This record gives sequence, C-alpha cells and structure tokens, in this order.
Amino acid sequence: MKIKGPKEFWAGLMFIAFGLFFLVWAVLNYQMGSAVRMGPAYFPSVLGGLLAVIGAFVLIDAFVEVGPKVPRFHFRPLIMILLGCVAFAYTLKPLGLVGATALLVFIGAFGGNEFKLREVAILYVVLVIFSVLVFVKGLTLPFPIWPAFME
Amino acid sequence: MRQFLACVVLLAAAGGAAAQAWPAKPIRLIAPYAAGGPIDISARLLAPKLQQALGQPVLVENRPGAGGNIGADFVAKSAPDGYTLVIGAIATHAINPWLFAAMPYDPIRDFRPVALIVQVPNVLVVNNELPARSVKDLIALAKARPGKLDFASGSTGSTGHLAGEMFKLMTGTYMVHIPYKGAAPAVTDLMAGRVHLMFDNLASALPNVKAGKVRALAVTTRQRSGFLPELPTLDEAGLKGFEMTTWWGVMAPAKTPDAVVQRLNAEIFKALELADVKERLRAMGSETPAVRTPQAFSAFVASELKTYGELVKRSGAKPD
Amino acid sequence: MDIFANLALGFGVALTPFNLLMCLIGVLLGTLIGVLPGVGPVATIAMLLPITFNLNPIAALIMLAGIYYGAQYGGSTTAILVNLPGESSSVVTCLDGYQMARQGRAGPALATAALGSFFAGCIATLIVAMFAPPLAEVALKFGPAEYFSLMVLGLVAAVVLAHGSLLKAIAMVILGLLLGLIGTDVNSGVLRFAFGISELADGIGFVTVAMGMFGLAEIIANLEHQGTREVFTKKVTHLWPTKEDWKRIWAPILRGTFLGSALGILPGGGALLASFGAYTLEKKVSKYSREFGKGAIEGVAAPESANNAGAQTSFIPLLTLGIPSNAVMALMIGAMMIQGIAPGPQVMTERPQLFWGMIASMWVGNLMLVVLNLPLIGMWIKLLTVPYRILYPSILVFMAIGVFSLSNNPFDVLLMGLFGLLGYVCVKLECEPAPMILGFILGPLMEENLRRAMLLSRGDPLTFIQKPISAGFIIASVILLVIIALPQLRKKRAEVFVEEV
Repeated sequence: MKIKGPKEFWAGLMFIAFGLFFLVWAVLNYQMGSAVRMGPAYFPSVLGGLLAVIGAFVLIDAFVEVGPKVPRFHFRPLIMILLGCVAFAYTLKPLGLVGATALLVFIGAFGGNEFKLREVAILYVVLVIFSVLVFVKGLTLPFPIWPAFME
Repeated sequence: MRQFLACVVLLAAAGGAAAQAWPAKPIRLIAPYAAGGPIDISARLLAPKLQQALGQPVLVENRPGAGGNIGADFVAKSAPDGYTLVIGAIATHAINPWLFAAMPYDPIRDFRPVALIVQVPNVLVVNNELPARSVKDLIALAKARPGKLDFASGSTGSTGHLAGEMFKLMTGTYMVHIPYKGAAPAVTDLMAGRVHLMFDNLASALPNVKAGKVRALAVTTRQRSGFLPELPTLDEAGLKGFEMTTWWGVMAPAKTPDAVVQRLNAEIFKALELADVKERLRAMGSETPAVRTPQAFSAFVASELKTYGELVKRSGAKPD
Repeated sequence: MDIFANLALGFGVALTPFNLLMCLIGVLLGTLIGVLPGVGPVATIAMLLPITFNLNPIAALIMLAGIYYGAQYGGSTTAILVNLPGESSSVVTCLDGYQMARQGRAGPALATAALGSFFAGCIATLIVAMFAPPLAEVALKFGPAEYFSLMVLGLVAAVVLAHGSLLKAIAMVILGLLLGLIGTDVNSGVLRFAFGISELADGIGFVTVAMGMFGLAEIIANLEHQGTREVFTKKVTHLWPTKEDWKRIWAPILRGTFLGSALGILPGGGALLASFGAYTLEKKVSKYSREFGKGAIEGVAAPESANNAGAQTSFIPLLTLGIPSNAVMALMIGAMMIQGIAPGPQVMTERPQLFWGMIASMWVGNLMLVVLNLPLIGMWIKLLTVPYRILYPSILVFMAIGVFSLSNNPFDVLLMGLFGLLGYVCVKLECEPAPMILGFILGPLMEENLRRAMLLSRGDPLTFIQKPISAGFIIASVILLVIIALPQLRKKRAEVFVEEV
C-alpha cells in the first residue's frame, strides 16, 4: 500500500485520534444514560464514534486518490508566536502591561524573517502607549501598567 | 514569657496600625461571575459608594468560571489584608460544595463573611393553561398525574432546581426536572406551555406575572414579598417551613483583621441605605436583608450550607 | 396608520440632541471595540453599566444598543482586513472578505459590508417597527425540538462553507461539536473533558477559538511564506465597488437581509445562524459559486447584511417578551432592570417613548455608522500598506490583550495558543476552520436541545417529525444534503485529473 494523498492521510489520522479520544474518554468517565434521559456520555460518544468513522474514510481516501504533499512546517514562526503569547499571558500580572507587551512584541518579532532592533523597539513603545491609553485608561480593563515591584 | 508578651504586644500594635492605615491602596472586589449579571451589577453599584467612603479606589474585577468557584477560590487564597474581597453567593458558598466533586476551597474555613447585600425570593409560577389556581390545586394535580408535570430551572443545582426538589420532597409528588441554560429560555418554554411550572427568581418573574403571561402561585420566602403582597408564601400554603432565597454578599479571606471587617460592614450598610442604591437593588427584586452583622452573616452561611447539603443529597442532584 | 404616529414619536425621542449624542457615543465606542479583536460588546456594555445608572433610561439604552450594532460593524472590519473574527457572526465574512483584502480589494469589501449592513439595518428596523408583536409569537413557537432541527439544518449548511473536501468538512464540523461540549454539562452538571482544569468548567470561549484558529494560524502561515519585508497586499486598486460589483451584490444583500431578519427573531442561536445561512444560500444560488472562498464579493455582501439584520430583529424578543436572545441582550435586560424598567410585554404599552425611541435610534445609529465608516475605509486600507513585520506584532498585542480580558485569566491566552497550533496544522492539512467554528458554537446548543426535547417527549424521537416546524427543518436538511452531496460525488473523478496536472 502506498500513501497517495499525504494530506488526507494525516488529516484522517488526526480525526480518528480526536474521535477515539472523545469516545473513549466519555465512555470511561461519564454515564451513558438512555435515549430518554441521555447521560453526559451519550452525545460525545456518538459524535466521537462518528468522527472516527469519517476519519477512517478520509484515511482510505489517502490510499485511493492522489493528493498534494503536506507543505513543510516552519517551526521558527510557530514557536516564537506561541511562546510570545504565553509569555504575555503569564507575565501580565507580575510585570504589568509594560513588561508583558515587551516580551510579546520582541519574542513575536523574532519569529519573523527579519529582526531590526531599533524598529521593534519603536513599535513596542508605540504599542504600549496605545494599549495603556485605550485598554487601561479608556476601556478601564483591570490590568496593571507597571511591574508589581515598581509600584 | 516576657519576650512572648512583648511579641504579642508588638503584633497587636502592628495589627492595629495596619487596620488604622487600612485602606492604604486600591481594593479589589472580585465578582466571580460574568459581567452584567445581577451579582456583577450589585458589585458595580456598591463599588463607587465604598470608594467614596473609604477614600481608595474600589475596583470590580470579574473572574467568572466553574459556577463562581474560580473567583471565590482566588479570594480564598489571597492575602487576608482587606484588599481583596469577593461577592460570595448561595452558589459558591452553599450549593457548589455539594455539587462539585473537587472543591478548591472550604466555604466556611477559608472566608470571613462581611456583609449580606442581597436576598431575592423565588416565585412559583405556572403556565396559564395549567388548571391550577393555588398551591393546593398544583399538589393535587401533580398527585393525579405523577411524572407528567415538568418543572423547568435555569440550571442543574440552581435554587430554582433545588426549590423544585424540595417541593417534591415535601409534597411527595413526582415531577420531571428540565434544566435549561439560564432562566430566560426556561421562561420562554414556560410561557409557551412546553413546561408546566418553574421556581423563578422574583426579578425575572415579576414582569411576566404582571403582564399575565404566567400565573404566580406562591413565594418561597417565609414572609410575603412587598412586590406581590397578595401572593401567599409556600409556608402559608401548607408546606410548613419551606424557605428559600437567593442571596449574595461581600466576603473576605479568612483571617482578615476584625477592624477591617467591621469597618467594611459599616460602610457597606451605609451604602445600602443610600436612596439610589436601595432603589436599584429593589429593582432587582431584593429587599434589605435582615442579616446585618458579620457574625450573623457567618452563622447564616453555615446554616445555608447545611440546608443545601441535605437537599442536594436527597434530591439526587449530585453529578457523577 | 398607527405606525407612522408611533415612528414619529420615536424619532421625536431619538432626535433630541442629547439622545443623538448618546447614540453617536454608542456607535463610536461600538466601532472601536468591534475593530479591536477580543474586546467584545458584552464586556464593554458590562463595564459601562455603572455609568448608565445616572443617565435617563432612554438615553442609556440608546447608547448601549449603539455599542451593540456598532460592534457588529467594526467586527467585520477586522475580519476583512486581518482575518480576525471578533464576533461569531463575522466568521463567515473572513472567508471571502479576507481573500478580497489579499487581492487588494479591501476597499470594495469594506464598502460592501458597510452598505449591505446599512440597507439591512434599515429594512430590519422597519420590520421591528411594523411587526414586532406578531413576530414575537414566532419565538414562542420554537421549543427544543424545533431548535434542534434548525441546528441540524445549520450544520448541514456549514458543510457548504468549505470549498475543499466534503468529507473533511463534515469531520471538522463534528470536531467543532465535540470541542464545544467541553465544560459543564447543562443537564447533569457534570464537568466533561475538563481534565481537572477549573478554567474549562464553563467551556472554551468562542473568541479564544476564533482568534487561535483564524488569527494566530494566519499570522504563522504568513510569516513562513513571505519575506516580512513585503507589504501585506500587493496593490490597492480602488476604494469603491465597481459597476460590476454593484450588479453582483444587490441580490445577495436583499436575500441576506430577509434571511437575517427572519432568523434574528429566534432567541438561542438564531441570529448566529443568519450569517452562515446567508453565505450558504449565496454559494448555492450564485453563478459565481466557484469563486466563493477565493474572494467573491457576494460572500461578503450576504452574510454582512444578514448579520446586521439579525442584530436588529433580535431586539424583538427582548422588547416584546423580555427574552434575551444573546449575551448582549441579557445585559440590556440588566440595564433596563437597573433603571427600574421590567423588560417584557408591557414595555411597549407602558413606555411607548422608550420602545419607539429605541427603534428610531437604531435607524439613526445605522445611518451614523455608514457615514462614519465609509470615510474610514481609506484609513483602514492605508493600514494594510504598513509592512507586515510591523503589522503582525501589533495584531498579536491586541489579540493577547483582548483574549486575556475575557476573564482576566492567562489560561485563555494559553488556549488561544493551542488553537493557533491546531489551526496551523489544519492549514497544512487543508482542513478548513469555518465549519469547525460553526460546529463549535452549535455543539452545546444542539446537545442541550436534543436532550431537552427527548426529556419532554419522554424519549420519543418522533417528536422531531410530529411538530410541523421541526419536520420542515428536517426535510430541508435532507434536501440540502442531497444537493450538496450529488455534485460532489459526480465531480470526484474529474478532480483527480485536475490535481494530477
């Protein structure tokens, strides 16, 4: 057997994995109930099963029909963007908007193909001022502006 | 011994000084529910008044999630210095502990109740087509048609649900509970006649009762409500001892200094007496609560916790 | 006729200088938060509630309503420009609107959205004014069985949203349904698929998913194939729709308006289905259906009109029955209660000034929006000429702040990241996110109504066929399914050859 459609192949596997996961998790942890009084496991296990079956069809398709290759994953933007977001989220309270935005902008900018320190620094300053004015002052979101140790 | 005494004196002095100085920085009032709900609204109503009285900003912060548990837990684990407060409610402090398998906090041990601010009665309302004009009729009907009547509620484990369960227990009837996501869709189905009755909170039921879209049979409080004075209480209607209100109030983390709690309590009650606050809370169906001191509020929370523990267990509302 | 006297009364109220000012503040603020991803009308209205305590009830409600439909306008701007749907209704606008922007046609897309919305807003306001009370009865006709069947129809329609493989689109819908089930089960109160994370108890927020699947995934994908030196769009051709465009959009706008007005009346997911439904309808009836998903202007015109029409008619259940049809309407009820007005059937008779004043102000607000937004288009398009390496960190910052503010919790941002990853994988595997998002929104509603209907019918599945409205939707779903499946099956062989070339 040769995989003719790699995209379909991986998509099929992904759907089967998600489907089986929801099915098994629901059946193991929650009650099925009956058609009258459906338990919390009823709907998710039916859907999970269905997803796995459709996933299997997609997978079969991968061996029947010729399809395009999966394009290459670019890990630098992927990791940097996600890392920037998470860094922002977990430092917002301790470091304030000023600190957290710095992390997000610099890490995020590092995910691009080009990193000009001066430009990013200017962008950062503009964004911080804008965010403080709009979100904290204007929309009164309860965010600290400065790092906690500076207050 | 002398050293120990000195320590005690020092600590007391320090504590006193801290209380004297309180509040020295902004106070955060956590609303453990989404913005715009009645609990959030009352927090936002109170905040500016407290800010005026205390001379420090009082900021309302919504930390919704897990039926209020996330916000309550956040405060339970905050420093007991009077700068982080929460609006604790019947859900977070009397019902959830029995519904949730893993509670992140202890509703009694981790909190110091400060002031009860709102108590809203529930109203027993039925669809207009239902041939029941009184609670007595309804009981007779439910007995004649066991398992045929449906009662709606805003969610599993809400006061509306538990009031229905209590009603079933006390009357020995069987009705099917139909849970909804929020009271609004439940009321829609009640008006349309797809469900037969509901224990709705007074504020949301009142306009429909007044417009004749649904029929009210009784209130769930011991005293009649000032909003519908002609309506009997369930207690009067023969269900002796039936009492249920939805309530919420300001709470602090356990070990918050006495002086802070007393001061807050006093300021909150002063705010509650202000004409505009009073009027707006009344619009939400609340009459000024009878529980006034922090001690009485603590006792109230403890007794509510006990009541609902039994009710949740007996009603089988417990998940899993 | 009565209606003119009533409308005259309404305009008398809405056109007082103070109320005009409130309306203007409302729509300005609404546009602003609509443009900012993540910060939605719900949070904004909630934060503004205390300010409205001191306003008179009419002015307060006019302002809050302005925020609501202003946000709908603004939301489509970000959807078109940077593929960020801040509102569930603008997910569909992303599909073709963003593609148009990539082709340098952001101007016509934005103008179409604004004009379509304005037209729809006018018609829908008129509908509210003329038929509010009888239409309110329609909302009462919809019970759990009817809602369930409507959602089945909606999901079948969702499959049409995708332009790739039918099978994968169905799978994505189901995946969305499953993800939507995460959180507390409405019926039993059991926490499902929460893995001990208490933040998951209330489920995953729509904004979090949409920002991740659309916004983040798009940024990551953009960073990989273009040098960031490049400008985002190659060339901005013109601001205004061409004659050809006009010819193509008038019918979709009309159809979208009527579909949106009809579905908007239904509380509980109706308004939401409007934009999806309108898109599906156009894709099926349009002779340009091959262009859908690649920048078809109809794909912007129809859903934008539908969603704005739905936004207006969703006031019907609120004003006549006191039933909120979405979170914003629930807040409006809160605002009314605080003002001592009990929302419900008596509002219209007891407070005609409020009722008609609000309706008139909706029209005024829509006019303000179109007047405000058309000149802004030029500015938005300028924004697209900013180099992408400057643009994307800015989008990131707004997204992160917006998502964080949802519940003041870092967890939501983490989740957004996870959905960004999923979205990126989906881009690579050619699995489209739009059907998933619709499934995600409808999943919990569907399960809830299914189980409720079964409880009420005591387990008799025939309830879905015995009720005429419900039966109608089921039949329509079957027909639609056949229409979708047939050409797909026939096409299959042909496509193999195309792709091999």
